[in-house]
Amino acid sequence: MACVKMRNSLLKLSAGILIAVGPLNTAFANKADDTLRTTFTKEIESVDFYFQSAREGSILSRQIWDGLVFRDPKSGEYVGNLATSWKWINDTTLEFKLREGIKFHNGEDFDADDVVYTVSFAINPDNHVTSPSYVNWIKSIEKLDQYTVRVHTDSPFPAALEFLSGLVPIYPNEYYAEVGPTGMGLKPVGTGPYKVESVEPGKHFVLKKFEGYHDGPKGQPSIGTIDIRTIPDINTQMAELLSGGVDLVWGVPADLAEQLASSSDLTVVNESTMRIGYVTMDASGRGGDNPFTNREVRQAVGHAIDRQAIVDNLMKGSSVVVHAACYPSQIGCTKEVETYDFNPAQARELLTEAGYPDGFSIDFYAYRERPIAEAIMAYLADVGIKANLNYLKYSALRDLQTKAGGGFGFLTWGSNSINDVSAITSQFFKFGGQDFARDEEVKAWLDAGDTSVDEEVRKKNYSKALQRIAEEAYWIPLFSYNSNYVFTKDVDFTPTPDEIVRFFDMSWK
Amino acid sequence: MTDTPTQTVESIITVTPGALLRRRLFGHYGLLFGLAILVLVAAAALFAPLLTDQSPYAQDLSARMKPPFWMAGSDPSHLLGTDQLGRDYLARLLYGARISLLIGTVTALISGVIGTALGVAAGYFGGKVDLAATFLINVRLALPVVLVSLAIVALFGGSLQIVILVLGFLLWDRFAIVMRSSVMQIRGLEYVNAAKAIGCSKTRIVLSEIMPNVINNLIVVMTLEMAHAILLEAALSFLGLGVQPPTPSWGLMISEGKEMMLFQPWLITIPGIALFLLVLAINLLGDGLRDVTAPEAKG
Amino acid sequence: MLAFALKRLGLAILVTFTVSVISFSLLHLSGDPATSLAGENATAADIAAISRQYGFDRPLTVQYTDWLWKALHGDFGESYYFKLPVADLIADRLSITMTLGICAISFALLTAVPLGVAAAVRPNSVVDRTALFLSVAGQAMPSFWFGLVMIVIFSIKLRLLPASGSETWRHFIMPTVVLGYYAMPAIMRLTRAGMLEVLNADYIRTARAKGAGAGRVLFKHALRNAIVPVVSLSAVQMGFMLGGSVVVEAIFSLHGAGYLAWESIGRHDLPTVQALILIFSCFYILFTLLSDLANAWLDPRIRVG
Repeated sequence: MACVKMRNSLLKLSAGILIAVGPLNTAFANKADDTLRTTFTKEIESVDFYFQSAREGSILSRQIWDGLVFRDPKSGEYVGNLATSWKWINDTTLEFKLREGIKFHNGEDFDADDVVYTVSFAINPDNHVTSPSYVNWIKSIEKLDQYTVRVHTDSPFPAALEFLSGLVPIYPNEYYAEVGPTGMGLKPVGTGPYKVESVEPGKHFVLKKFEGYHDGPKGQPSIGTIDIRTIPDINTQMAELLSGGVDLVWGVPADLAEQLASSSDLTVVNESTMRIGYVTMDASGRGGDNPFTNREVRQAVGHAIDRQAIVDNLMKGSSVVVHAACYPSQIGCTKEVETYDFNPAQARELLTEAGYPDGFSIDFYAYRERPIAEAIMAYLADVGIKANLNYLKYSALRDLQTKAGGGFGFLTWGSNSINDVSAITSQFFKFGGQDFARDEEVKAWLDAGDTSVDEEVRKKNYSKALQRIAEEAYWIPLFSYNSNYVFTKDVDFTPTPDEIVRFFDMSWK
Repeated sequence: MTDTPTQTVESIITVTPGALLRRRLFGHYGLLFGLAILVLVAAAALFAPLLTDQSPYAQDLSARMKPPFWMAGSDPSHLLGTDQLGRDYLARLLYGARISLLIGTVTALISGVIGTALGVAAGYFGGKVDLAATFLINVRLALPVVLVSLAIVALFGGSLQIVILVLGFLLWDRFAIVMRSSVMQIRGLEYVNAAKAIGCSKTRIVLSEIMPNVINNLIVVMTLEMAHAILLEAALSFLGLGVQPPTPSWGLMISEGKEMMLFQPWLITIPGIALFLLVLAINLLGDGLRDVTAPEAKG
Repeated sequence: MLAFALKRLGLAILVTFTVSVISFSLLHLSGDPATSLAGENATAADIAAISRQYGFDRPLTVQYTDWLWKALHGDFGESYYFKLPVADLIADRLSITMTLGICAISFALLTAVPLGVAAAVRPNSVVDRTALFLSVAGQAMPSFWFGLVMIVIFSIKLRLLPASGSETWRHFIMPTVVLGYYAMPAIMRLTRAGMLEVLNADYIRTARAKGAGAGRVLFKHALRNAIVPVVSLSAVQMGFMLGGSVVVEAIFSLHGAGYLAWESIGRHDLPTVQALILIFSCFYILFTLLSDLANAWLDPRIRVG
């Protein structure tokens, strides 16, 4: 009796406390002290943009530093930022006139020396920047006079402005030479709209409005202080948002966003992103002989997964199913590729033809959205492919792939918000560490596309590469991502599809 | 008048140790409660396929997060609702009991064998053997269990076997400590000396003279370590470095339900209560067994 | 006493050494760290260069000795992930974990000792049963679940406490309770058992017979004797808690050493993981050493045994 009673009351207790979350009334006090509190999900390696690979790092870099040019997120046009004008001298030389009178946060004057120093540093292989591909299209950089520089490329590189706008922030040469990447990571100094007040590595960043910010295309910042804490758990982020501890959270899962939308204190905005999810397979057998060296097996995977159901039920928002190995809006991306509709019977048939009538068991790798990885695994299990999940951090998975492991997995790529196929297809199919297709022809087409300035030539070559990738089912592209931005009603903010959160565009209502 | 004391004496004498044990057993509510829950969970695990016709792995993305029966909008075919992928929660809970019990039992067996061997050897032989065993116990205690298990699982991948092996090889310390001191207490007793005197082999002495007298303690520690292992597995799975999805581990269920805990709290309440009750039951059973077999140590 | 202390110290040093060997070799089983460090698009030559630069091409024993030697001087190498000295990284985070550990053990002691005493004074009373229930429940409660439930109640529903972070003392309340509750049952049981034993001992009866007040007997005579094993248990529990705070830190996003360890494990950041395992072990060894010495000092019988 006593026991039954205890259990009942326990059940009641837990049910009672847990079931009703109740109305969400909070006095958000953050507008009053002009401080926007927000969160990062990932502990970033460093604030120094060149020595990290996270979305969070890109976001920080846009606040702290400027690039030579700026891509207007609404129009997609390139406008001058640290540069005022530029022109192609020939196919491989791009000349920039720099803006005069700009000062870094520490008072250092900005001029050509800063640009030359930063770029030369980043392209020097001895410095081991984290993502060499952001800069290794640059052969050299040269100073013509105090406010003129020339960028030389190995071969024509049509995406140069795109790369320069987001992936090459300019550092103060004297300061960087003195403190190096470690110092820059701890006390970053730039020209950007926000200067860094404090950095606790990986966990807490405080930005202050830079009063001396130049009148560039980013506009003047409005909110005085941005306080960013790393809260890796989305659930804790929600708890903070609901209890008034933070004002803005992004990347909120669809289910939560749906629930939060009903709150009168919060604004929920869904915006598409350039990120796509895909299943990669070890077609070339880099990691040893495996079933995916057989094309029919790869195609079976394509037919096994109900991508539309995943989009409708798990991704929701503005996500769409994608068939080519790129985001539809990217220059060079095409829809004219072979598609694999959801057809488990055909998948099983293909597996039988390939010699796996009873399927097989294999390791499967993933690093984010575990529920989606699980959903994919369940679809695969239905046709006989037993996938054993290995859930790693991205850096660990990437390392594994460079060592030819982890050939079968669910991965995603956000193209660093670069609206060009060279930022995705060329990243993964030109015999790099994460290329498991190793198709010479694909590489040749991509090279041709990457190095031509003729839009038509580029499109033709990229199409060929993308069609081959789809035909051979090297990748099974799944869907595009969307991001839910949830913020308090006090915040005035319009998210953009490039998944870059611009604090300098925000203001209080 | 004169009969009564005699009768009493007789009745005292006729109480066999077994009867006394039974009397204590049934008078101990904690033990009974623990046993009852444990039997229930074991039965649920064993007969899971009979109790539900749903598969714990079958997903239905169009029927996600259906609420359990006591809430509005529930679906009679999913008594405890469905999870984020539309998998039947009852089926996952029942099959999850298998995982928890399997981990608890096998871990306790592995660590029991290691710890008992070490503890008995130390207690029986004393001297250098004891010194070495004490040293090993100290080393083991100094290693932070959670971190070391996390690290090993991260290096070798998370599978049921690895989690069981890791925990089995880490949780033997209490066995060793308890066995060592229990054996020390009895090794000097007369019957052990008698066995030595008549020339019994060491193996024989340990197996037939020592072990039967320390088995009670062994069982008590075993229950505690079972509970410990179940909780640790849940914690590791919760941190993402334990049993891997889609295995229906209760810790994993809590971890997966956590994302929606603010709006669908039952997703973590159900496996949380299941885990709590199972561990509570095993602990009560262990405490009860200790009280019953060694009432003087109660407390 | 000196002999005992030296012997005990010797054991502690030997254990520390063994633990360092274990954690070093364990983590070096994971393959070539140079490849991870070299990153994307690294050529074989790059990897070889990094291997040389970090000394991965030397025999493991040499690497170990080198690592240990530097570790003894407070140099744990550079984090692969943050590219910062591990020692700096840890020092910052360790203070949070230590604060949490001290708060949690204090909380456990402040709740468990009075409960244990009350339970022992009136065995089988309501207090005793409640205490017993709390302790059994404490042992069975998955701490991560307990933490989540606390967040729902105190942060979301009641809005009394912040859900994450470590800025003020209020941030530490929930983590303290969750972590402390884990250590409470053992301490309470030991207090209760110790008190029961002492209360039945002859000298207490004598004291009582002499007419000493109940409170005086309880606190001056009984508790003082019963508390000795509790103190040593607390030291051990404190060691366990520091190593086990990873779960609590993960839930409340406390950027402490346990949380750093968890993240570093996922990132295969070997120098950090190695250093943290060693440091947590050292804490445990240090606490038990101190408690053993304190015990031996208080209770001469231990020294002989």
